Amino acid sequence: MNQANRIGEIIETGTTLFVAESFALNQPPPLGRLVYVQNGDIQIYGVVCFGTTTSPDPGRRAVRRSTVGVYDEAIYHEHPQLEHTLHTEFTVRLVGYSQNGVIYRYLPPTPPPLHFSVLDCHVNQVHVFTEQLTYLRLLLQAVEIPPEQLIAAHIRQAYQARGHDDSWLTGAARLIAGLFKNDYDRLMTVLNGIVPQEGS
Amino acid sequence: MPLRLNGFYDRVVELAKTLPDHSPNRRLEDVLTWFRQADPDRLRRKLAQRSGSARIPWLVATPLATLATRFPLPPLPDDFSIVATDGSSIPPDRHSPLRYFVLNTGYAALTYGSHPAAELDAESHFCFADAELYFDPQGKRIPIEGTRLGILMGIEEMVKLSQVAQRVPQPVVAVRDGSLILWNLQNEESELKAAYLARFLGALDELRAAGVPMCSYISYPGSQDVLNSLRLLACDDETRKCQDCPQTTPAQVLCQTMGTMRDRQLFRLLLRPGERSDVFESESAILKEYDRHRQHIQFFYLNVGDEIVRIEAPCWVMADPAMLDLIHAVLIDQCRRSAQYPPYPPALIEAHEQAVISAGDREMVEALIEQVLAEQGIVYVRSAKDRSKRARGV
Repeated sequence: MNQANRIGEIIETGTTLFVAESFALNQPPPLGRLVYVQNGDIQIYGVVCFGTTTSPDPGRRAVRRSTVGVYDEAIYHEHPQLEHTLHTEFTVRLVGYSQNGVIYRYLPPTPPPLHFSVLDCHVNQVHVFTEQLTYLRLLLQAVEIPPEQLIAAHIRQAYQARGHDDSWLTGAARLIAGLFKNDYDRLMTVLNGIVPQEGS
Repeated sequence: MPLRLNGFYDRVVELAKTLPDHSPNRRLEDVLTWFRQADPDRLRRKLAQRSGSARIPWLVATPLATLATRFPLPPLPDDFSIVATDGSSIPPDRHSPLRYFVLNTGYAALTYGSHPAAELDAESHFCFADAELYFDPQGKRIPIEGTRLGILMGIEEMVKLSQVAQRVPQPVVAVRDGSLILWNLQNEESELKAAYLARFLGALDELRAAGVPMCSYISYPGSQDVLNSLRLLACDDETRKCQDCPQTTPAQVLCQTMGTMRDRQLFRLLLRPGERSDVFESESAILKEYDRHRQHIQFFYLNVGDEIVRIEAPCWVMADPAMLDLIHAVLIDQCRRSAQYPPYPPALIEAHEQAVISAGDREMVEALIEQVLAEQGIVYVRSAKDRSKRARGV
């Protein structure tokens, strides 16, 4: 395993999703990012669907700390204990796994183990996994954010990792049209979210 | 079942009626005016003479120099650290078949300036051996519980403070919450008192040897020892017993007013935010033991912004102007960084958070014990009384 792409550690796990704590405060992986967990010879894939920074102690709430002269990044300089008393968590919905070179785009048989590392996917892994988007239906179950936002974010992430592959994007749009065939408004939300922007 | 609150309201109203009148009144201003011109030399003479005349029933404090001088906030170094410790315990439980206690010493080391850093951690001890549970286990077998356990915790806090303060970036101020005067030891058996004092003062000696200024921070102090000394100074007839005083002359009325006040109220009138008072010396029978180590405890009051706090420190800290100024500046800086108002030092807050033992932690310890005993084939059964409280059947 390449140490450089370890981005967090699993602190809650389950069949459909896991929650991980980020190694860097205020830096969860981007929404929609494809990430994975290595468990023996199996790689479990998931899509980042939520991020937050809070106190790990439910009894303690963040309080205002800024003053006229000290705000934004300077606050962390002024209060060095915040690196220890706050943590950043992100939630990942499972979308498939790979074993012996074969990709399976449905929920893995067992959840990833607690305390295992979460890794950022390499561009090649994104290419291979997103060749077929049948797993998008799993993301419709998201409750953390509206599923159409999650799907749009994931498509944007994959499009970028695939070097702005327009023909792939067209195929994705067709599949999404099928997913949302009964809901024009949500369909348009997704399509507006994935259309390439000027200069992007 | 819920508390039966009927009748409480009337009782609380009765309580409120017993409180002295704290509305802004001229009498408090009179005390301040008198205080500002009171003569510290005359007070020191009276304090020195008092063993010959009427015994004062109260604890008094001796001014080392002046009485009412205000010291402004000194400059703060660019880079410095503060270390704080706090302790917590799971006391011995008579309803458990096993006798043990847990001590948890939390600490926070915060470094500010060009390389800010924070170290927050705790050290926990599970104590079950006879030598840990009892003082002089073969002889007097004094159980370590209640106030004795509290004193032991205080010792562990001091030892930890000394350890951590010596390894963080200097200059550093070491601080803990609560008095440095081990009042509770006065009533203890003499060998135990001597042994515990030796350890506590040993840790203070280490801090002195390492050149680390240490102090204790007492929020909302209830002390009256400065006012008690001022009452002695104001008194116009020390031969008469206090209960026989007619309270008619201006001096007697002044004394009576001062008798309703606490030191924090007087210094709230005197000090502006950021200022400290001059240094006073505490008196107490136990401090004679401290003298053997040249660790007599002195104190000053500090206005941290809407609260007067009492800062205690050993005499070698107060006598060193650089140490005294560093403590003053660092504590006010801590209060500036406090997210709450009135402020409280973040270092003490974080040390407390590290020390706290939650109900969940306690259950985990018990579950661990139950599991290990079960592995040994021992069934862990608590008292019937305790089980009746936990099961709570109807």
